[in-house]
Amino acid sequence: MQTGLNRTKWEPYLWLLPSLLLIAIFVVFPILIVFKLSFSEISKAGVIGGFVGFQNYVEAVKLPAFKTVMLNTLWWVLSVVGISTVLGFVIAMVLNQKFHGRKIARSILVFPWATSLVVQASVWNYIIKYEYGSLNNVLLNLGVIKQAINWRSSYQIEFIWECGVGIFVTVPFVAFCVLAGLQSIDGSLYEAATMDGAGFWGKLRNVTLPLVRPALTVSTVLNIIYVFNSFPIVYTMTKGAPAHKTDTMIAYLYMLSFYERKKGPATALSVIGFLILCACAGLYMMTVMRKEEEQ
Amino acid sequence: MKKFLALFLAALMLFALAACGQTPAADKPADQPAGEITLDVIICEYGPNTKEWFLGKGMNGTNFVEKFEKENPGVKLKLDVVSWNDVYTEVDTRIANNNAPDILNIDVFANYANEGLLLPVKDYCPDELFKDFFPAFIDQSVIDGTVWAVPDLASARAMFYNVDMLKEVGVEVPTTWAELEDVSQAIIDFYNGEVYPWGIDMTTDEGQAAFAYYTWGNGGGFVDKDGNWAVNSAENVEGIQFALNLIEKGYTNPNPATQTRYDLQDMFAAGKMAMLIAPNQLPTYVADKGGNINMATAGIPANAGKTGSSVGVMDRVMAFKDDSAPDQAARNEAIGKFLTFFYNPENYVGWVSMEGFLPAVNSAVEALVASDPSFTAWLDVLATCQFYPAAKAEWDQVKQGVIAAEQAALSGADIQAELDKLQTELAG
Amino acid sequence: MKNPELRAQNRRALVFLLLGLALAAVLASLPLFHFSAVVYTKKSPNTFVGDATYQSVKAEVEALAESYREQGLEVSLDEEVIERVNSKGETTSLVSFSLNESFGKNLWSFLGKGIPSSLAALGIVLGLSLSAVFAMLGLRGSAELPVRYLDRRSRMLRNAACVSALLALLLVPVLLMMNNYAFTRQLSLYGADLLQDGREQVYARMDRFLFAGTLGENASKTLSGLQYSASGMSWLLLAAALITLLAAVQLRYGWIKGPVLRALMYAFVVVVCLVTLYPYYVMLITGFRSNAETLDMYFLHMFPTKWIWSNLTDIVHRGVPRYLLNSLLVAGGATGVAMLCGIPAAYAMARMSFRGKKAFLGFVIMSQMFSPVVLLIGISQLMNTLHLNDTVFGLMMINAAFNQAFAIWLLRGTFVAISPEMEQAAMIDGCGTLGALTRVLIPMATPGIVTALIFVFINAWNEYTISTVLISTNANRPITVGITQFSSFNMIEWQYLFAASLLATIPVVILFMSIEKHLAAGLTSGGVKG
Repeated sequence: MQTGLNRTKWEPYLWLLPSLLLIAIFVVFPILIVFKLSFSEISKAGVIGGFVGFQNYVEAVKLPAFKTVMLNTLWWVLSVVGISTVLGFVIAMVLNQKFHGRKIARSILVFPWATSLVVQASVWNYIIKYEYGSLNNVLLNLGVIKQAINWRSSYQIEFIWECGVGIFVTVPFVAFCVLAGLQSIDGSLYEAATMDGAGFWGKLRNVTLPLVRPALTVSTVLNIIYVFNSFPIVYTMTKGAPAHKTDTMIAYLYMLSFYERKKGPATALSVIGFLILCACAGLYMMTVMRKEEEQ
Repeated sequence: MKKFLALFLAALMLFALAACGQTPAADKPADQPAGEITLDVIICEYGPNTKEWFLGKGMNGTNFVEKFEKENPGVKLKLDVVSWNDVYTEVDTRIANNNAPDILNIDVFANYANEGLLLPVKDYCPDELFKDFFPAFIDQSVIDGTVWAVPDLASARAMFYNVDMLKEVGVEVPTTWAELEDVSQAIIDFYNGEVYPWGIDMTTDEGQAAFAYYTWGNGGGFVDKDGNWAVNSAENVEGIQFALNLIEKGYTNPNPATQTRYDLQDMFAAGKMAMLIAPNQLPTYVADKGGNINMATAGIPANAGKTGSSVGVMDRVMAFKDDSAPDQAARNEAIGKFLTFFYNPENYVGWVSMEGFLPAVNSAVEALVASDPSFTAWLDVLATCQFYPAAKAEWDQVKQGVIAAEQAALSGADIQAELDKLQTELAG
Repeated sequence: MKNPELRAQNRRALVFLLLGLALAAVLASLPLFHFSAVVYTKKSPNTFVGDATYQSVKAEVEALAESYREQGLEVSLDEEVIERVNSKGETTSLVSFSLNESFGKNLWSFLGKGIPSSLAALGIVLGLSLSAVFAMLGLRGSAELPVRYLDRRSRMLRNAACVSALLALLLVPVLLMMNNYAFTRQLSLYGADLLQDGREQVYARMDRFLFAGTLGENASKTLSGLQYSASGMSWLLLAAALITLLAAVQLRYGWIKGPVLRALMYAFVVVVCLVTLYPYYVMLITGFRSNAETLDMYFLHMFPTKWIWSNLTDIVHRGVPRYLLNSLLVAGGATGVAMLCGIPAAYAMARMSFRGKKAFLGFVIMSQMFSPVVLLIGISQLMNTLHLNDTVFGLMMINAAFNQAFAIWLLRGTFVAISPEMEQAAMIDGCGTLGALTRVLIPMATPGIVTALIFVFINAWNEYTISTVLISTNANRPITVGITQFSSFNMIEWQYLFAASLLATIPVVILFMSIEKHLAAGLTSGGVKG
C-alpha cells in the first residue's frame, strides 16, 4: 500500500523503531532469560547455577500432576474461549438491536472487564461460600431455595466454577469486538438478503458471520493467549486443590516454583507452554487468515 | 471529540512525566553519607496492624522505622511489609537476581541456609540477646550445629470447644479419638446436622497442620526417632485415615480441601461449629468478628494410649550474606542493632501482643503475663509443644507433598499409596 | 375494512383467554399448598426409654398435646429414640418428642388474610379476571377490525388486558417465592430468635391464616416448627397465566411471534445485566457492612442493617488513595508510552511496504505469549540492570511493552480502513509525513485510538503479578497489590477488601462510560480489518 511519495528504504524501520525497542528491551529480554533458565540449574531458594541441558524438561514431563494439569488446561482454554465466544456473540447480536436502555446495558457489560482478576476471583469465592456466601443468602431470602446449597461440593464442580468466572470476565471483550463488527455491516446487505428470501439463519450464515469473522479472529487469538496465561482465578479460588485436580498450567507452575520450590521444572514447563501456545495460536491464525484471503 | 482526545493525551503525557520525575527509591548508595548503612528488611504481614506498627503510626504515634533510626544514627532501614501470599515470590525472585534482602522475616530457612545464603546468627547477634531466646526455640533453627535464624514469635494450637453446646448436648469434652467420634455423633443427632461437630482444614495453605495433628496424636509424625523422613509410617496412615473417616461420616465441615482456617474460625464464631483446633488468637478473632461464644480450650485429642501433643508454629528472622557490602563488621553490627532494638521489651511486647502471638524471648514474658494472665497457660502449652521439622532441607517438598496426599485422598485416592509415593520420592 | 375472518380469529383468541382463566380457577381451588406443623419438639439427651427423665418429659409433652387438642388442633404425638453404642461400649440415648399436624390449603384461602402472599394471590386472581373483562370489552364492536384500525378505546382496553395478564403471570413466581420465604425461612428465623422485629404481628397473621386464630399465645412455639411445601402442580398456574397472556397479546397485536420475541430479548438483556452486576452488588453491600455482619451464617440480611461508612475512611487511612494514585500513574503513563510507540509502528505497518512486515507482526504477537508470572525473574533482573527496580516508572514501561501487541494490531486496522488520499493531499500541501500523521490521520482515527487507549489502560490498571515483585516500597504500590494488606495472616477483612476493590473499579468504569460510544465505533474500524 504505497502512498505514492518517495521514501527512503530505511524509513519504515525508523517508524517501527520505538515499538521494536520497547518490546525488545522489556519483553524479549526477559523471554530470553527464561529460555536460558530452562537449561540451567536453579536451586530451591532461586540461586541460578550452570547449564544442565534438557534435565529440567525431562523432570517437568515426569511430574506426577503433568497429565492432569495439561488436560485441565485444555478444558480450561476450550471451554472459556469457546463459551465466551458464543455467549459474547449472542450478547453482541442482542445489543446491536435498537431498544430502550441499550446504552445502559452496554455500560453495565463493561464492568467485569474493568475489574482485576484477583478481585473478581475473590468476590466469586466469597459469593459461593457454603456457610456465609452471598448466593445462598440471596436465594434463601428470595425463597428460591429452602436449604443452603454447598456450591463447591466436588472438585469437578469447583473447576466448573473457575471456568464460569473465566467466562464471566472474558465475555465483555468478545461482545464488544463482535459488536463493532456488526455495526460496520452495511444495512443494505441485509435488505438484499431479505429480497432473496433469506430467513434469520440464512442472513446469519451468509451475511453476518463472514463479515464478523475478522473481529472474531482478533478476539479469539488474543483470548486463547490471555486465557491460557491467566492464573489469578485458579490461584485465588482453589490453589489447585485437591491435589492439582483443578489446576491449570500457569497456576500449577506458580505453585511448583514458589511453594514446592522445583524452579527448574517450573521454568521448563513455562517454555513448553509457550511452544504449545505458539503452535495453537499460530495455526489458528494461519488457517483463518488463509480462508480470509481466499474469500 | 478532538479536544477530548487532545486533553486525554496531554493528561497521559503529564502522568508519564510525573512518573519519570519520581526518584527511584531503591539503590541510591551514591548519596549516602560515608559510614551510613542501609538495611533492606522484609517483614511478613501478620495482621491488620503490622503495617501500621512498622511504617505508619501504630507504635504510640510513631513507628518502628522512625524510632529505630532516631535511636540508631548511622543505620537506615528500607523496610517492606509483604503479604504472606506474595512473600515467597518476592524473596525467591530477589535471590535469583543476587538482590536478597539483608534481614528477612519468614517461616522457612533451611534452603537458604543450605545454599550458603545466610549469615550464622553468632556473627551478628549480641550474646546477651542470644541468651534471652527460649533455648527450645533456638534448637529449631539449627543445621549441623550452627544456628541460622532466631525466632521472632510463636503461636500454639490447641482444641477450642463451644462450652454451651457441649453442655446442651450432654457430653464431656473428648480427649481420645474414639470419644471425639462419640461426641461428634451426639452433636449431629442433637442438632440434626445443622452444627458441624469438628473442623478440618486440609487446604493448600495449611494442610500440613492437619497432618501434624493426626499423626502426632498417633505417635507418628513427619520424621522417625532418628530424624529421618518417615511420612508413610503405619501410625501416620492410620492417623490421616481417622481424619478422613471423620470427614466421610459427616462430622466435619463439608469442603476441607478449600475451607481455610479462617472459614473454620468464622463458623466457630457464628456458633455453627462445636469444636476445632485453632491458634491461641482465636478468642480475639471471635471477638473481632462480633461472635459471643462461651469457649474453652483442651488438649488436642489423641488415639487411645498415645499422648497428644500441642502444635507450635514459629516464624523466624534471618540475615542474608552480602559480599558486596564494603564493611562486613559494620554491617553485622547494624544487623545486631536491629535485633537488639526489635527484641527490646519496650518494643517487642507491643509487637507480640498486638496480634496476639506468643513471645520468643524470656525478657518479654513478665510484661506479657502482667498485661494478660491467660498468657501463663499458653506459655505452659508452648513449653510442651512440637514444631514442624523446618530445619530439614526437604521440608518444603514434604509440606506440599503431605498436603497433596491428603487432598488426593479426599478425592478418592488411597492415602497409604499416596504417602508411599511421597516417601519414595524423598528417598530417591 | 371489516373482515369476517378476523372475527373468527379474535373469537378463537378470546376462547383461549377464557380457557386460561378457567384452568387457573380450577387450580386455585385445589389444595396445592401443604403445611405440616411440628407444633412442639423437645429433645432430651442421655435419656432412656422408661427412666425418670423420660417419664417427666413425656408427661410434660402429653399435657401440652392435650391442651392443643382442647383448642381444636388434631395433633399427633411422635416419639423418636436414637440409641447408639459408643466407643466405650456404653449405650447413649437421645429421645425427641414432637407434636405434629398437617393440612393443605388452596389459593382462595390466601385471600384477605393479611400476609404478604395474600396480596400476590389477589393480584393473580384480579389480573386474570380483569384481563378477561378488558379483552371482552375491547372486542365489543371492533372484533372485525384489523389491529391498526382500532379506535382508541378498544386499543386501550386490549392493552389493559395484556398488562393485567402479564401482571398475573409475573405474580405467580412471586407468590411461590413469598410463600417459601414466609413459611419456611421467616418463621424458622423468628423461632430461632435470630429475628425480633415485628415478631408478634407476623405470628398473629400466620395464626389467622393457618389455624383460624386458635393458637393465640402459643403461636410462637407452633409456628417455629412449620413445614411448608408447594405441590409441583402449582407451576401449572404459570401455564394458565401464560395462555391468558398469549391470547391477550394475539388480540392486541394480531400476531404473537413478534411481541414475544421482543419480550424475550428484553428478558435476556435484563438477565445478562443482573448477572453482570451481581458481584458488584456483593462488593457494595459487603464493603459497607460491619466486620461481624460479613459473616452472616444464617443469611439474615441481603443488605447491611447499618451502613458502615467509616469503612471508607478506614481504608483511606490505610493508604488506599496513595495506591490509587500510583495505579493512575502507572496505567496513564503506560497508555501514553504505548500510544507514542504504537502509533508510528502501526502507521508504518498500514501505509508502507517493506521487507519483514509479516515477521514484525508475528514478533509482536509472540511477545504476548509468555505469562508475566513466568517472566518474573527475567523482568526483575532487567529492572536491576536498568536501576528501575521499585519504581513506578519501571512498572509503567513494562505495562506499555506488554500491551504493544493489541495496540499495534488495532491501530493498524484503523489506519488501513482510512483512505490514504487525505494524507497524500496534505503532504502535497507541504506537510511532512509526521505532519500528515498528526494533523490528518490521527484525528480521523480517533475512535480506534480511543479503543486502544482503553484497552491498554484497563490492562495496566489490573496488572498484579509483576507489581508484587517489582515494587517493594509501600508508597510505590499500585492498588492491586495494595489491597492484599486486607487479607493478612490473622484475618481476612472482607469489608475493607471489597470497599477498596470497588473504589479501584470505579475510575475505570467512569473512564469507560465517558468514551463508550467511541469504543464501539473504534472497534468497528480497527478489529474488523485487522
